[in-house]
Amino acid sequence: MKKALLIFIALALVFTFTVSAGGQKDGGSAAVSQEKVKIVFTSWRTEDIERMNRINAVYMKAHPNVEVVFQPINDNEYDAQMKAALETGTGADVIFLRSYDTGRSVFEGGSLAVLNDEIPSLEAFPDAAKKAWSTEDGKIYGVPFAGVTHGVYYHKDVFKKYGLSEPETWDEFIKVAQTLKDNGEVVFAQGALDDWTCYEVVFSGVTTNWWGGEKSRQALMAGKQKLTDANWLSAFKAEDQLQQFFPKGYEALDYVSMQQMFGTGQAAMFMGGSWELGVFEDLGSGSEDIGWFPPPLVHKGDRMQYCFHVDAGIGLNKNSKHYQEALDYVRWTSTPEFAELFMNELPGFFAYTPGDYNLSNPLAKEMIAVASDADLTVRAVWEKMSAQSPSGNSLMGEALTKMWKDEFTPEQAAAYVQDGLATWYKPFQK
Amino acid sequence: MSKLFVKHKIYKILLFVFLSLYALSILYPLLLMFLTSLKTTREIFTNPFGLPKSFNLTSYIKLLTISHYLKYFKNSLIVSFISLAVVMVTSSTASYILAKYNVKGRNFLYLFFVAGLIIPIRLGTISIMRMMIGMHINNNLLSVIILSTAVGIPFGVFILTDFIKMIPEELSNAARIDGCSEPGIFRIVIIPLLKPALAAVAIVNFIPVWNDFWFPLVLLKDDAVRTVPLATALLFGQYSTNYGLVFAVLSMASIPVIIVYLVFSKQFIKGLSSGALKG
Amino acid sequence: MTSKRRNGWKPFMVFFILPAALIYTFFLLLPIVDSLRLSFYSGSGFIPTEFVGFENYKKLFTEFPFKQRMLNAFTNNIEFFIIVTIVQNIFGFFIAFLVTRKIMGNNFFRKISFLPTTLSVLVVGFLFKLILNPAWGIFDKMLTAVGLSGIIHPWLGDPVTALPALAIVVSWQFMGESVLFYTAGIDAIPEETLEAARIDGANPLQELWYVIIPAIMPIIGIVTILIFIGDFTQFDIVYAMSTTQANPGFATDLFGSLFYRATFSTPVRGGWGMGMGAAVSSLMFILVFSAVMVWLYFFKMKGDGNE
Repeated sequence: MKKALLIFIALALVFTFTVSAGGQKDGGSAAVSQEKVKIVFTSWRTEDIERMNRINAVYMKAHPNVEVVFQPINDNEYDAQMKAALETGTGADVIFLRSYDTGRSVFEGGSLAVLNDEIPSLEAFPDAAKKAWSTEDGKIYGVPFAGVTHGVYYHKDVFKKYGLSEPETWDEFIKVAQTLKDNGEVVFAQGALDDWTCYEVVFSGVTTNWWGGEKSRQALMAGKQKLTDANWLSAFKAEDQLQQFFPKGYEALDYVSMQQMFGTGQAAMFMGGSWELGVFEDLGSGSEDIGWFPPPLVHKGDRMQYCFHVDAGIGLNKNSKHYQEALDYVRWTSTPEFAELFMNELPGFFAYTPGDYNLSNPLAKEMIAVASDADLTVRAVWEKMSAQSPSGNSLMGEALTKMWKDEFTPEQAAAYVQDGLATWYKPFQK
Repeated sequence: MSKLFVKHKIYKILLFVFLSLYALSILYPLLLMFLTSLKTTREIFTNPFGLPKSFNLTSYIKLLTISHYLKYFKNSLIVSFISLAVVMVTSSTASYILAKYNVKGRNFLYLFFVAGLIIPIRLGTISIMRMMIGMHINNNLLSVIILSTAVGIPFGVFILTDFIKMIPEELSNAARIDGCSEPGIFRIVIIPLLKPALAAVAIVNFIPVWNDFWFPLVLLKDDAVRTVPLATALLFGQYSTNYGLVFAVLSMASIPVIIVYLVFSKQFIKGLSSGALKG
Repeated sequence: MTSKRRNGWKPFMVFFILPAALIYTFFLLLPIVDSLRLSFYSGSGFIPTEFVGFENYKKLFTEFPFKQRMLNAFTNNIEFFIIVTIVQNIFGFFIAFLVTRKIMGNNFFRKISFLPTTLSVLVVGFLFKLILNPAWGIFDKMLTAVGLSGIIHPWLGDPVTALPALAIVVSWQFMGESVLFYTAGIDAIPEETLEAARIDGANPLQELWYVIIPAIMPIIGIVTILIFIGDFTQFDIVYAMSTTQANPGFATDLFGSLFYRATFSTPVRGGWGMGMGAAVSSLMFILVFSAVMVWLYFFKMKGDGNE
């Protein structure tokens, strides 16, 4: 007993000393960096720390008096913590904003600067992008940072082995899947555990041509269409059709395992987002091994409906202690220089900044090329319909996983979301 | 007689085998965690059960270079040691009064403290967040230190009051005759005798404080103030596609508590058992 | 009693008690009371400011999806509690009974049984999530190795098996606590009592039934109430194994994860706002408080004449 106590006290002392010694070191380095103006940049993308640091290093080289610290918060906790910090005056200087309502609620909290006069070049940004971070009367509170798109990845060697080519229509898409299945291949690296992938990627991004893209989305938002209408229902049915091609145990396959499965070449196809290019590269599937095709059309010759989702904007804390320096930095994020830097650091994130860019990743080039000859839209029930609880986003996720596990028919899934939204969404209550 | 003996022997062997299986079910997952962290990604997929081919520390080295792991470790130490120290000091003084002086309201006060053993502090999270923001110590280790202290006090009072009650009053009286003041008795007579009980309080409280995930998750956001469990959750998400690294993250979070437990398991079991019996 | 005189309060006594009392009151008790108050408020900001009376509770008990989520968490929590209680009490008692016999290495087993309890729930949850992974998990591979590939199942993806899987992981981790408590109880039975039973011709089974089990009844109560409190505020295991969305489709949602998601997530991720979050935590408080009252009634008030 006594001996144990002695050890405990000794350990405590050792720890206390190392701790206090460490503390002193910190104090020293803090004093040195005091001369620099420190700008804190917060985001929900913890996976980007290293890449953002490289981008910011370029800025800091040109502005030696400024230190930009990229300090992301875990995605799940981001919104609550960022808002709490802003409301109590301890917020970051530069803030990542989600598009539409979630970002808007931050602006309405009163802590974001209006950027129209501060950054005149925003005028030239595409309207669809500006709309996601501005009020109805045109006050812009976020620099449109990046959009993402969706489609289907595949392994070139598997397609080659069976003489398959990129499908153009949904029927061809199903035929490709069937061929692979008949030959005993794992067709899709797809799971139903993380329900957001069922809605954000597959429903919004891959069955887009079924529900009909921007026109249908506007009609839905205005209450002129219902999710149980034929076009929306056909998308639910198309998504339901894919279930037969999923791997064994797909019910328990989470998002990360899906990525791993495809990235390590254990499945032929993967319905995913453009942001996954980097992940696959890290897993050993570079752009020479994998190909990509856009959401399949319903009929040959239809105009492509393409979900090019507004993902992130950059806001400026108007109560920032270093407002001018923070503004200078935000201004830089609206320049083509910044856009090209991040598009090459983060392949699969596309800038809205007007300009001609040289993208190093061939698949990213393909993804952006599709957009030039397509009607662009965003995720189906994101704008307005996800502002309150129960949100369109969470209802969709829940309904679609249940459909994929045969707990719901496509009709029931559509009705579930429609009825859920009708509990609070005014246009649906008419 | 010998037949009965044989039967008895077989019975004992059966029980031993059963217990061994139970021990295996505990040790195997933990061993798997350590071994996997020493493998390369390729090995993890091709040879999931076997021993690693070489003692490969790449994942640990990578973990220490890409994250500020030592800093997280230091933060966890700061939180644990400061809160434990404050718990030991405040609950031993409070227990001294509750155990040795028959003051008015003593029983009520004792129950008031001990009630904390069954009140889950998490249920006050929203107000706690409000308070911490109001005091400008959200996103600061101090907030987690205060909360860990508040949670530790009930157990401290519970164990120490009991222990001090058992110290014979004659010792205190002898000191009184020598002209010692009442606070002086606490310092001279009680504290030296209290050490084993204090150790039990410290060790039993250490585990939940070190492992606490909820309050760091809710209150701390900057990289500089992350504790080990919070960092574990973030790193797990951030590097989830790199299995070797993920297992290294899990191992790093577990090794310190396992060592502390193995070194102090006697005190630990004693401390908790006495709690169980008093109920 | 240790001191015979009735003392009056002296300044030094107040000074000795005050620090502990203040920290404990301000940071543990008050926040819980204040959260009860906040459950009557609503508002879009971080801190709810608009007084709405029982509106939050009305929503929680009558409206879609609040009512469904709340009832779902409630039934899940009951199921979770029942599984953990049964496994931990029965299995834990059995192990404790064994390690208190004269068996080779019983001290080692005692020590090892508590090892998982010292780890963070988060680490254990992550570890078992990897072990149960349908694509790479070692568990399914082990089943295949012993010829049981027929029972391979998407354990964490099927709403029927996901919650029991979480409950078993939690039982695995906290089994040591039951073992430790029961061991303490059995060790505390005076040797003479056991000796007397043996002289009366009791076999080991009778000894267990007539002597040991009655003696550890109060400990069953303690273990069960601790499990109840732990389970009705359990969050870490859901976070680690099924994310804050309580996959699959809220099948593993417990009050702890519901409280967290409702309070801190945006509506997009199933958040309900701080006021509703406070209502959920108040409901949790009422549940835990009632359980403690029931426990006190059955295990403490009855025949507890020795205090």
